Amino acid sequence: MSFEVIIGIEIHCELKTKTKMFSGAPVLFGEKANTCVNEIDLGHPGTLPSVNKKAVELAIKAASAFQCEIDPVLRFDRKNYYYSDLPKGYQITQQFYPIGKNGQVVIEVEGEQKVIRIQRMHMEEDTAKQFHNDSGTLIDFNRAGTPLIEIVSEADMRSGKEAAAYVEKIRMLLDYLEVSDVKMEEGSMRCDVNISLREKGTTAFGVKSEIKNLNSISNVQKAIEAEIERQTQILLSGGKVEQETRRYDEALKNTVLMRKKEGSVDYKYFPDPNLTPIRVDENWIKEIQASLPELPDARKKRYMNELGLNDYDAQQLIQNKEMAAFYDEVCKHCKEYKLIANWIITELSAALYKQNKTMKENPCKAEYLASMIQMIKAGEISSKQGKVVFEEIMQGKDPKKVVEEKGMKQMSDAGELLSIVTSVLDANPQSIEDFKNGKDRAVGFLVGQVMKASKGQANPTLTNQLIQEELKKR
Amino acid sequence: MNLETLRKQDVRKRCEEALMKAKEYQSVLNAVVTFYDIEEQLQNLEHVASDAPLYGVPVVLKDNINTKGVRTTASSVMLDQYVPVYDAHVVEKLKQAGAIIIAKASMDELGMGGTNLNAHTGKVNNPWDVQRISGGSSGGSAVLVASDVVALAIGTDTGDSIRKPAAFNGVVGIKPTYGRISRYGVIPYASSLDHVGYLTAQVKDAALALEVLAGRDDRDATSSYEAVGKYASNINSDMKGKKIAILGNVMDEIQNEQVKQNFDELMKKLEARGAIVERVHFDDQLMHLLLSVYYIIANAEATANHSNLDGIRFGLREDGDTLEEIMMNSRTKGFSSNVRKRFIIGSYALYTENQDKIYKKAQKVRRLIVEELKRALETYDAVIACAAPDVAPTQKECMNGKLKKIQQVADNHMVLGNFSGYPSMTVPTGYIDGLPIGVNITTKPFDEQTLFDIGVAIEEETGIQNQCAEVKV
Repeated sequence: MSFEVIIGIEIHCELKTKTKMFSGAPVLFGEKANTCVNEIDLGHPGTLPSVNKKAVELAIKAASAFQCEIDPVLRFDRKNYYYSDLPKGYQITQQFYPIGKNGQVVIEVEGEQKVIRIQRMHMEEDTAKQFHNDSGTLIDFNRAGTPLIEIVSEADMRSGKEAAAYVEKIRMLLDYLEVSDVKMEEGSMRCDVNISLREKGTTAFGVKSEIKNLNSISNVQKAIEAEIERQTQILLSGGKVEQETRRYDEALKNTVLMRKKEGSVDYKYFPDPNLTPIRVDENWIKEIQASLPELPDARKKRYMNELGLNDYDAQQLIQNKEMAAFYDEVCKHCKEYKLIANWIITELSAALYKQNKTMKENPCKAEYLASMIQMIKAGEISSKQGKVVFEEIMQGKDPKKVVEEKGMKQMSDAGELLSIVTSVLDANPQSIEDFKNGKDRAVGFLVGQVMKASKGQANPTLTNQLIQEELKKR
Repeated sequence: MNLETLRKQDVRKRCEEALMKAKEYQSVLNAVVTFYDIEEQLQNLEHVASDAPLYGVPVVLKDNINTKGVRTTASSVMLDQYVPVYDAHVVEKLKQAGAIIIAKASMDELGMGGTNLNAHTGKVNNPWDVQRISGGSSGGSAVLVASDVVALAIGTDTGDSIRKPAAFNGVVGIKPTYGRISRYGVIPYASSLDHVGYLTAQVKDAALALEVLAGRDDRDATSSYEAVGKYASNINSDMKGKKIAILGNVMDEIQNEQVKQNFDELMKKLEARGAIVERVHFDDQLMHLLLSVYYIIANAEATANHSNLDGIRFGLREDGDTLEEIMMNSRTKGFSSNVRKRFIIGSYALYTENQDKIYKKAQKVRRLIVEELKRALETYDAVIACAAPDVAPTQKECMNGKLKKIQQVADNHMVLGNFSGYPSMTVPTGYIDGLPIGVNITTKPFDEQTLFDIGVAIEEETGIQNQCAEVKV
């Protein structure tokens, strides 16, 4: 018996706003507990919500990037349940009319493209954060009321790899849009995976389990693969998968039970009477959509079609928004697009890694890298010399000065070089003999001798050319 | 007491006298939950211009209006020791205008009730006859105006909670258009029906007070941007050509001949002034659903609104072994059985399986009922009817709810103003055996001016203005 895996994903993402979804309290990460709160966030009697316009703008950006239909009428509903991290006893969300619906993103797994449909994307508010210890439970309300978007996919994914690619795609898009910090490890992006198995060829869905609180993209894939294995074993041994909520245990490399779902909770959703529907100006929506930054897919296409990069290089660059932005910056000063890509992807990445810095902290100036690449291209310095120069650029030095100070100038003057070539040939009659007897290796040896005589400054291409010419004359 | 007379007295003297009077009457009326120490407020008057509209005017607040640092209970055990961390929008407005808050007034618990019998601090007595009820839920506020303690008392109105007690106590009670006065900082009952309003002893003061209290507040998303008028100076009691519709459904049910006669005579007087007074009749079937629809919507919203009262962050906290137990024990002890009953009704209406046949149906009927009122106001400037079918009942009469069934529409019609959000005001029109009765007027949205115009015309005809009960201590 073989199974088909059905995966749907819900992603919660905190929006990068200055204030909360429905209150004027600041949204800050890592502040002292309960200092970023006001009476609204604590659910005090008599408080009322007001919609944060910036949050709506960011949500429209995200929904647009996911190619969702946008509802120009904002409507909010109450989701009712009692819990200590939910101050009002209800969460304000968009149950009946999400701001975005029927969207999609395209993922790529092993060279194959696949469309993953997005069922809906809605705005809501975050809950407080709880800390359980021996003496009881501590509640930090700083997070309470932080604007969130929830992105709900259709159950279109069929493997852990696809799921990871989907989450990565969503993460990358939100990062490009600058609507969220998208840090899974800090919880600004959270991921719940629904997963079920069915016998290949059948159409009815199997019983699903939900894996909550996945804190990295690699864990999304690992958790799903472990869960597929678990469910497969249950089904193969004739058992039944139960509907339950599980979490991924990194040490066990397996999913573990959090709670069984005993009948679904009735959240008694109804429209929040304190937030009457708001009609959003369609021109404002258009303005927001017109100001969207270039998104990763479009950027990749541009790199391949206009700048002539191959798929791999283009993909490497767009993977990191800051890296792509730096690449674009260097390209403004220099037209050697392929060379620039190589230097950034290999040398710059390695250098940053060595310095334990992220792309955001990159000390390399775009103009400097561009000017260095120009010098290599023009034959003023060799690639080998370039690596030495690059190390200095990473310290903030101007490559032109480095070349001058180190006396690195490449000898490219034909007259000057010719005299060295002549003396080298005169000193090596055996090599001339070898060349005449068809031993091409001799040329390499002679070039090496010229380099030695010029203290490494001879332009290798030109040297090669001159030696060939002189040999023929002799 | 009215604002004009008040202004002629010394500021400190009038405030201290009001506070003293309130304290003196407390044993008879039981209208106050918390008395203020007014010293600090009097000193703060230094920072208020002496021509501010309510400069040094003593006022009272219903006890569901949040006051920073001063206990605000909403008449619930749950909030008995609750001290708000912020001022309600209306409190800020009052302070800016120079008002001096002397007391927090009694109310039905969380605004749930029409008698003020469901108050944590006990029955509030009607100053015209202490055996009778004050009406509710803004009972304390109405009584403190009617007994000449203050000229202005803030109340809230979800069904008729300002306008009914106004009628029972012979004072003016108004809830302006929904969104006219910010609800920020007012402990809610039902958000889509809740209005902040107030009670005064004469219509002109009501007009002045609206100038102070109305206006957009960004913290209340339902608050309106509509400009605030110069209501008091614009008052024009000329009724020539004013089209007034008598709500027949109410009048048909009224059985007290004296109430009817008082109303008919008043209508004749308005006609004599040049008003065109005609009878309209709304769909009977719809009108008989007023109370059910109100109950469903109000309590559905209330059950969610009060889910914050869980004993975790503030308010009464009872012990328990689990979080659920703590919440359950706190809420069981914190609310009266009447309130818990309303929560259950509201919750039942919101269950997903019930929503279509209960909650959503109630919303549809609400819309149909509002359509009736809207249609009438397309032709008429105002709709008028007796505010209540009779004088204030005694506590005993309340318990035995016989009359209510026969006079269901007459007793509950003022909820039309809450369903629609249209401005609505009750003014006193006479006395039966020394007990006040009144009429209710409703106009188009944001046409409070017409309410005041007609109100003043009525005052001129009845001569009832600033008539307060004498309280024997």
